[in-house]
Amino acid sequence: MHNWLPFEWIAASRFLREGRMQSISIILGVSIGVGVIIFMSAALAGQQANIIRRVLSAQAHIVLLPPQEIARPLRENDVAEAAIVQRPFQRVRSMDQWQKIIKEVGEMRVVTAVSPMASGPVLAVRGEATRAVSVLGVDPALYFRVIPLPDKIVAGAARLTSEDIVIGIDLASDLGVTVGDKLRITVASGQGATLTISGIVDLGSKGANQRNTYVALHTAQALLGLIGGVSSIDVTVPDIYAAEDIAQAIAAATGVEADSWIKTNAQLYLAISAQVIANSTIRFCVGLAIAFGIAAVLIVSVVQKSKEIGILRAMGASQGQILRVFLLEGAVLGLAGSVFGSALGAGAILAWQTLLKNPDGTPLFPLEMDPRLFIASAVLATLTGLASAVAPALRGARLDPVVAIRG
Amino acid sequence: MAEEVLRLEGIRKSYNVGTPVESEVLHGIDLVLQVGEFCALMGPSGCGKTTLLNVMGLLDRPSAGKLFIKGAETSGLGDRGLTALRGHSIGFVFQYHHLLPAFTAVENVMMPMLVDRGRPDAAMRRRANELLESMALTPWRDNLAINMSGGQQQRVAVARALAMDPSLLLADEPTGNLDTKAAQGVFDMMREVNRRHGTTVLVVTHNHALAAQCGRIVELVDGRIVSDRHLPAAAQAAVEHTEETSQRR
Repeated sequence: MHNWLPFEWIAASRFLREGRMQSISIILGVSIGVGVIIFMSAALAGQQANIIRRVLSAQAHIVLLPPQEIARPLRENDVAEAAIVQRPFQRVRSMDQWQKIIKEVGEMRVVTAVSPMASGPVLAVRGEATRAVSVLGVDPALYFRVIPLPDKIVAGAARLTSEDIVIGIDLASDLGVTVGDKLRITVASGQGATLTISGIVDLGSKGANQRNTYVALHTAQALLGLIGGVSSIDVTVPDIYAAEDIAQAIAAATGVEADSWIKTNAQLYLAISAQVIANSTIRFCVGLAIAFGIAAVLIVSVVQKSKEIGILRAMGASQGQILRVFLLEGAVLGLAGSVFGSALGAGAILAWQTLLKNPDGTPLFPLEMDPRLFIASAVLATLTGLASAVAPALRGARLDPVVAIRG
Repeated sequence: MAEEVLRLEGIRKSYNVGTPVESEVLHGIDLVLQVGEFCALMGPSGCGKTTLLNVMGLLDRPSAGKLFIKGAETSGLGDRGLTALRGHSIGFVFQYHHLLPAFTAVENVMMPMLVDRGRPDAAMRRRANELLESMALTPWRDNLAINMSGGQQQRVAVARALAMDPSLLLADEPTGNLDTKAAQGVFDMMREVNRRHGTTVLVVTHNHALAAQCGRIVELVDGRIVSDRHLPAAAQAAVEHTEETSQRR
C-alpha cells in the first residue's frame, strides 16, 4: 500500500488483482479489439494514401478551366425563335485574364501552389511511329510545386528549356526513344516542332505514361497557337479532401470553371468514402463489443464484491468513493487493453510489412503507422472503459449496505 | 450523570411497507446506552436483534422513532452525513469477520482510516500495528485474511472496528462461529477495550456464559425489549473467575 496512492486506486487495483482471471480475460479481449482497430485503420489509411498518391501523381488537386463556350438562340423582343441549338465544339483557347486569376487564387489561404498550363492534343512522331499525346506546357518553377515531376524522373532530368520535352516511360517505350533522342511534335494544323527528350518520367499510371508529354510553357503556347495565353491553371491545396469545397469557392470568386480531383474521380472518391464508412462501422461495433465486455466483467465484479462494498460502506466509505473505485477499474481495464492492443496492432503492421511483399520486394501496400492513432486508441479505450463502468459502478455505489453484507 | 452514547426512542422498523406482506420487525424500542457500558443483546433467532443493530449502527433507517448518537438526532441526516457519522463514531464487528480478502491483516485494520483520510500515512500504519499488537496478532499482520484462523480473523475484525476510536462498538454475534476458547479470547479483547478506553460495547450473543460477563443484558423477544438487567460487578467477577478456572482445566 503506497502512501501516495488514494483509497480508490488501492481498492480498484486490489479488486482487479483479486479477480485476476477475469481481469486478464477482459484485457485480452480489449487488446484484440484495439489491435484490430489499429491494424484496420492503418491498412485503410495506407490503402487510401496509396490510391490517392497514384491518382494524384500526375493530376492537380484542382484544375481551373475557361468557361465552356455555349451557343445562345437568337432572341427578338425577348422571345426565343424556334431553333435547334447545336452545342459548339470546345476549341483550345486561352483563359481570359489568367494572370489576374493566378494572383487572386494564389493569395487564397487554402491554396499552396498555382501553376498555369497550355495544353492540347498533338501527335508525337518518331520515324514511322506516331502516337496521339497531350502536350502540357508548363513553367517548371511553378509546376513542380504542383506535380513533383523531378521525383518521378527515371532517366535524364526534368529540364524544360524551349528545346526540351519530358515524356512518359510507356510513350518512350512505344516510340523506342530514350534521353537525348529527337521527337517531332505536330498539331492538327500541321504546325510542329522538333524537341530533344531531356527526361523520361514514371507517373505511376500506364495511361498517363503513354499520354503525357511536358514542354516549356512558351513552347506549348507557340505550338497550340495560344501566344501569351494558357488553357488551364493547376492548383494545389493542403487538404485534399477539401478540394471540392475550395474548387467551388474559387469558381464563385473568379467565374472560371474549377474541377477538383474529387469531381473528376467521382467513382473512386465514392469507393473511398464507402470504405471509410465501412471501417468506421466496424470500429464502432468493435468498440461496442469492448464496452459490453468491460461492463459485463464489472457487473459480475460488483455482484461478487457486494459484501466488500457493504463492509466498506459500514466503515464509512461514501457512495462517491465506491463509484470511483469501479469507474477506475473500468478505466484501468480499458487503458491496459489499449496498451497491449497497440502493441498487438503495431506488431501486426510490422509483420504485414515484413512478410507480405510484392515480387519486387516492396510491401504489398504500405500501411500508415500514425502515432496519433495509438494515442487516440488509448484515450478512446480508456473512455470506453470508463463509460461502460458507469452502470455497474452506480449499481455498486447504490447497494444497500445491510443487503450487501447479508449477501 | 453518565454521558449518553446512544438513545433510541420508539424505534420501529417495518419491511415491505405499503405491500400486502408488510411486516413490522421492531415495535417501538426505547433504549439508552451510556459511555463505558458493556451490554449484551440477547434473544431468540428472528426476534430483530440484527435489525436493531443495523438501525443503531446507522446502516438502516428506522421506519419510525428517533435515534440519537452522542445527543445528536440522526433522522435529518442524508446518506453522506450518516456515512460520516458511522465512520467516525461506530465500529462494527460482524458474525462472519467480513475482512476484505484482497488485503492483509494490517491493511484491513487501516481501511477505515484510509476511507476517512483518503491516502495511507505512517500514523495510520502505526495505529493499525498498535491495535494488532494489543490483539496479540503482530506475527500475522502481513497475512491475508484467508491465511488466518477464525479466531485470528475475528480479532482482526475487532481491531479494525476500533481503528477510528469509535464511541460505540456494535458486535453481531462475533463469537458465533468460534470454538469456546477462541470465542472467550475475542470477548476478552472487547472487554479489555471497554475497560481501557471506555468504549461502549453492545454485543449480540446467544451465549449465556458470555452474556453473564457483561454489565448489562437486554433481552429482545418479537421485536420488543422484554427485560433490561444491570448485573452487579461482583456477579460479573464471579462469572469471569469460573470461566478462567474452567479454561485452565
